[in-house]
Amino acid sequence: MPTEFSARVLANRALAPGLFVLELADCEPLVGCLPGQFVMVRGEWGRDPLLPRAFSLLSARHGKCELLIKALGRGSRLLERSAVGATLQLLGPLGRPFPVPRAERRDFLIAGGVGLAPLLWHAEEAVRAGAKVELFYGARQEAELVLRERIEATGCRVQFTTEDGSFGRPGRVTAALQARLDEEHPTLLTCGPNAMMRAVVEIARARNLACFVSVEGEMACGIGACLGCAVQSAPGAARAYHYACIDGPVFDALQVVLP
Amino acid sequence: MNLRVPFATLDCASPIWTASGTFGYGREFAPYFDLARLGAIATKGISPEARAGNPVPRICETASGMINSIGLENVGAESFGRDKLPFLRQSGTNVIVNFFGETFDEYVACAASLDALDGVAALEMNVSCPNVKKGGVEFGVIPAVLTELTRACRSVTKRPLLVKLTPNTGDIVALARAAVAGGADGLSVINTVSAMAIDARRRRPRIATTYGGLSGPAIKPIALRMVHQVHTALPEVPISGIGGIASGEDVVEFLLAGATTVQIGTLSFSEPSAAARILDELSAFMEQERISDVRELIGALVVPAGC
Repeated sequence: MPTEFSARVLANRALAPGLFVLELADCEPLVGCLPGQFVMVRGEWGRDPLLPRAFSLLSARHGKCELLIKALGRGSRLLERSAVGATLQLLGPLGRPFPVPRAERRDFLIAGGVGLAPLLWHAEEAVRAGAKVELFYGARQEAELVLRERIEATGCRVQFTTEDGSFGRPGRVTAALQARLDEEHPTLLTCGPNAMMRAVVEIARARNLACFVSVEGEMACGIGACLGCAVQSAPGAARAYHYACIDGPVFDALQVVLP
Repeated sequence: MNLRVPFATLDCASPIWTASGTFGYGREFAPYFDLARLGAIATKGISPEARAGNPVPRICETASGMINSIGLENVGAESFGRDKLPFLRQSGTNVIVNFFGETFDEYVACAASLDALDGVAALEMNVSCPNVKKGGVEFGVIPAVLTELTRACRSVTKRPLLVKLTPNTGDIVALARAAVAGGADGLSVINTVSAMAIDARRRRPRIATTYGGLSGPAIKPIALRMVHQVHTALPEVPISGIGGIASGEDVVEFLLAGATTVQIGTLSFSEPSAAARILDELSAFMEQERISDVRELIGALVVPAGC
């Protein structure tokens, strides 16, 4: 059951320009939350910005949680300046998670940018559960490939890619994925820019692989009331739209049409 | 301390209602506070048939507010009665069903079918949505049309009929009079303010339909002015004030301006339990100011002579 609660900033770690991790305490309501689920976050900044921001969790364990954030708009830039000890208002856990890792299933995780957050957590949980996963993590350049030590620490097979070739395999993450799929028949889990996820979905379709996408939408409430985060349903569905907040953010790729 | 207020023939546990389009069908908010504390819930706008709503982007944030263009997406009258009303009926608060149609006859048919449902306390006629091509605001800006539509809907329901007015007019009082002339038992003032936001880099509107409805604290001063104008012209008509209410003191301001109740809208998005917090703040304000009955505040604005 989602809960409104106050969390305290334990740490605010800059990873690269505009990329940071907030570690929060007093997050007991998130116990039992799973990778792919999200929280709505507001700072104590009055009525402007007015709306909370949605973030997929990087982790939620032992009454703490972590958020991986890219400072893009006004809300995320304010969060970037969060002082240790500051209070944030959270609502969560919200939404539906990725399929829970299972030893008999092989997952390939395809992450772009801050879409890494739920997939890194999924990888950590998979290792714990004795499941085998591989991570494909792409960015434009080396500086944007964050949390690499933590990724390596999972012990999972990892393929880093950068579009400018400054680290890992040069080119797109989806090219790295294609190359591996000649040998494997995994389930694909993806989170990142829509263009990347569309390419992953296309690959899944061509190779007849199960695929799960984590979709972002303009979201005011996170609980199915504002209807802002509509995602077009796949052709033939009973309804025109699904909602990223309550039907997702993780969807079977067959359910929706990515924007 | 008394927080109970009458509104037309409704008995409201408090002057705090939740506004149509911002509170789903009630159930979405049940995990966050006891809905029985509300004087009423105004449902998502209901049309005779289900509607899919507008393409995305449907919402964008603006300074102290947001613009939406959802397009009156709803489950339709039949599904509402079957799937949504049973929960609302046992929520312990008044259920006010906001409704609309694409044509004059659809409005009337919708009012009649909702009137037949057990557990509907009142109807709120939506003639003020800026985001749909048909229905919505076209019936709400010409006084003679508004009177005729109100009268027709009035004749098919025995329940209190509220009319939700648009602020996108030069003369809110003329619209208020028109609705009352048609038999409205109360007025909801105001719906969203027609507005626009632009992405400068992409040179595109931020809302798929180009224009949308502005809500939130940004519009509170406009709403207060309109509530005050309508109350001044029609002091006997109960008004439910709407527009960016975010605190107990905001509620007091609307009551002073002449509202009998208020509706919490966009704030329920920021904070699902906003209505309960605002009600607590209203109680605290009354305690501090030694006000024993919330009804003392209604229309109690003091306008100094010469102003």
